Amino acid sequence: MKIGLFIPCYVNAIYPNVGVASYKLLTSLGLDVDYPLDQTCCGQPMANAGFEGEALKVAERFDQQFAKYDYVVGPSASCVSFVKENHPHILEKEGHECHSAKKIYDICDFIHDVVKPKSLPAKFPHKVSIHNSCHGVRELGLSTASELNMPYKNKLRDLLELVGDIEIVEPKHIDECCGFGGMFAIEEEAVSTQMGIDKVKDHMSTGATYITGPDSSCLMHMQGVIKRDKFPIQIIHIVEILASGL
Amino acid sequence: MSSRESILESIKKHTKAKHEMPSLEIINPLTYADNIQAFCDMEKIVGGTAHVLKQGEDIDQVIKTYFPDAKRIGSVLPFIKCATYNPNEVEKVQDLNGTDVAVVQGKIGVAENAAVWVSQELETYKAIYFIAEALVVLVDRNEIKTNMHEAYAWLEKHDYKFGAFISGPSKTADIEQALVFGAHGARQVLVILT
Amino acid sequence: MSTKHSKAAEKFLKNKAQAQWHNETLWMVREKRDKISKEVPEWEQLRHKSQDIKRYTNSHLAELLVQFEENATKNGAIVHWAKDDEEYREIVYKILKNHKVERFIKSKSMLSEECGLNPFLIEKGIDVVESDLGERILQFMDLPPSHIVLPAIHIKREQVGEVFEEKLGTEKGNSDPTYLTHAARKSLRDNFLHAQAAMTGCNFAVASTGDVVVCTNEGNADMGTSCPTLNIAALGLEKIVPNLESLGVFTRLLARSATGQPITTYTSHYRNPRQGGEYHIIIVDNGRSELLADADHVDLLNCLRCGACMNTCPVYRRSGGYSYTYFIPGPIGVNLSMAKDPRKYSDNVSACSLCLSCSQVCPSRIDLGEQIYKWRQKLDSVGKASKEKKVISGGLKFVIERPKLFNFALKCAPIVNVTPRFMKYNGLNDWGKGRELPEFAKESFNTMWKKNKIQGEVKR
Repeated sequence: MKIGLFIPCYVNAIYPNVGVASYKLLTSLGLDVDYPLDQTCCGQPMANAGFEGEALKVAERFDQQFAKYDYVVGPSASCVSFVKENHPHILEKEGHECHSAKKIYDICDFIHDVVKPKSLPAKFPHKVSIHNSCHGVRELGLSTASELNMPYKNKLRDLLELVGDIEIVEPKHIDECCGFGGMFAIEEEAVSTQMGIDKVKDHMSTGATYITGPDSSCLMHMQGVIKRDKFPIQIIHIVEILASGL
Repeated sequence: MSSRESILESIKKHTKAKHEMPSLEIINPLTYADNIQAFCDMEKIVGGTAHVLKQGEDIDQVIKTYFPDAKRIGSVLPFIKCATYNPNEVEKVQDLNGTDVAVVQGKIGVAENAAVWVSQELETYKAIYFIAEALVVLVDRNEIKTNMHEAYAWLEKHDYKFGAFISGPSKTADIEQALVFGAHGARQVLVILT
Repeated sequence: MSTKHSKAAEKFLKNKAQAQWHNETLWMVREKRDKISKEVPEWEQLRHKSQDIKRYTNSHLAELLVQFEENATKNGAIVHWAKDDEEYREIVYKILKNHKVERFIKSKSMLSEECGLNPFLIEKGIDVVESDLGERILQFMDLPPSHIVLPAIHIKREQVGEVFEEKLGTEKGNSDPTYLTHAARKSLRDNFLHAQAAMTGCNFAVASTGDVVVCTNEGNADMGTSCPTLNIAALGLEKIVPNLESLGVFTRLLARSATGQPITTYTSHYRNPRQGGEYHIIIVDNGRSELLADADHVDLLNCLRCGACMNTCPVYRRSGGYSYTYFIPGPIGVNLSMAKDPRKYSDNVSACSLCLSCSQVCPSRIDLGEQIYKWRQKLDSVGKASKEKKVISGGLKFVIERPKLFNFALKCAPIVNVTPRFMKYNGLNDWGKGRELPEFAKESFNTMWKKNKIQGEVKR
């Protein structure tokens, strides 16, 4: 099975180490991983702002870039769910069929549901609070949405439990939004910032020293809040924990 | 074209995909080992009181025990001896105001939410269900339904002019979400399971 | 980059203590809803049934409304049809005028807010009294509701104390909710006894029986309709349900979703007119029938008006009902306002981070968040897209469609890291007001890959 690694734009630019960790983690699991060169962006920022049409070309390019792979795997729940949920109808308008949507996975989802490792060599001797990000929860089902009356499951927690010496907690508002939301963060600056502050405080109240999650975008937003208000907590992408020691 | 016609016309013109009526069968619904016990527990949660009448216990005595200071007790039920007047016999509906306790017959109760169905058959004025400071509802303990599905299945077979499910006393939290009983209707509700 | 909503929200958040209270109190209501919904193992089945029944009724409205009319008429009610808000107001006024009504008591009805009934009747000289406690407080203060179920959630007890002191003569400085509620009870009891006509909204209109079902906790609808023999009920035409059996589903969902109660205190079925009286039922369209043709948004007619989407919405909780430009706020309000007039109400669609919590909390499974995403796509075609957002999106598009340019931008990006603070954190940069900007990596993933830095590290 051939895996095409999908690195979203802000991971590419701001958190390349998350991409590196993703590559290491997947290859360490014995998978054949390739990175199609010169990836840019999935188009979500424009679409969420109301310009879905502007994502057409990148959606086309995305589908071509990943045509030869059995799976598309990326370390960003939100971007993955954008491709899965929206690329098909964006491409359909131009009469194209979207192939990526059927084979794209968030990396945690992929490892949890497809690779299913029994153990990982990772060690992370810290207390971490899981950031169950909106699209990971409510579009990809990485954990059970708190609104639903269904047995609680959390794939992120399952994976973190394979890590040695780690202590795992979740915040009280278990899957409330951190307030990022793409251009929402700028257009609704005051509400967005308040949501970020509230969310970071909720994570801190667990006593954790790290916030971890499957979305660099949410983590980036919370990092902005943490740095400004000098909160005693750090962010780390879940893949960096799972790949620790590799 | 009348407004009626133009609205119906507009509906027909704009309706697109038709959907079928679903089956209303619920798979594995919540049930209780004992509906009477569940009803009593729930009545407490909704702010009321449930009293299961014991063998040989007198309804009048129970009412007196719960409301020792009640002066004006209204009931159209002939067997309620503690009633001080018959609400059907007031000159005008406004005269019902100032009733301390109203005693009425409920038809069914619902275990999941402590609602009792009260329908206007004997009473001339439905006001009596709402205007009294305290409401006493008598319900046959064998008529406690599990949930609203069963309650409405029962209602489908029974006629009424006006009827209400009443679950506990009147309440509001409109000031800062602080719960206060006795917004407009009864401040206290006692359900006696006969 | 801002909208009327974002500006109003910023103002709302300036009063930190009040904003925090608002957020936490509404979250508490959502928690109550979570707790009670999880006590019902068939909860998700009920939500699906609700969605399916509503989709059935909303695609069979003509038949069901006629059936309702037939049965209500058989029961002795007089049924009216109103195309729009104006006709609705005129119908109410005509009924009141024919009976020479001067004192009129109302229970809560969002439809009457939608159609501007109160100001119209007051202008005509009718004394209109709102009987729901929250609505009464707001009527005294001359304010509209800020939430559809908890209309005065934004008002502090001290404010209620002050206005009751002035209007009802309560003790100065006493802002105890129990004391104030009972003062309102006493005063409104007088209104109930002497009103000449009463009006209610309608939660459900049962086609097979002609029943109008009204749900309240206070019993104000019931008290209102108990003395006057002239009663009026008005309903938006989507309030129709096929039969009593289907109410089993809706009554189990409504109060649990709205306030975390197992059912509202009163679920009243109005079937026949009061003895010697008249019962008028007004069926109102006001744009609803046209929404039936909009495949993307027709499910908005599934709404039970429980308010759960407001309580869960992280934006509503932190911006308050008045930050929206429509009389219904929150996720359902954003959608209904756009369905009403996208040009007029486009300022509301910014009030969403697309977290999709509303869609999951909705007892009728309306895809509220997904629909807001769709409205955003339509803004440009109605000429209401934000110019700045359009420029940014266009610029982004230009760059990400050109990998070479994208890579060049990535190389240049770290320059921002060393840009002086005054240039990064100024009034023009909305991100930077409350948050630090992210730092760009020295080398992007693309560059690292090309330099074989990543592959080289991994032993195959």
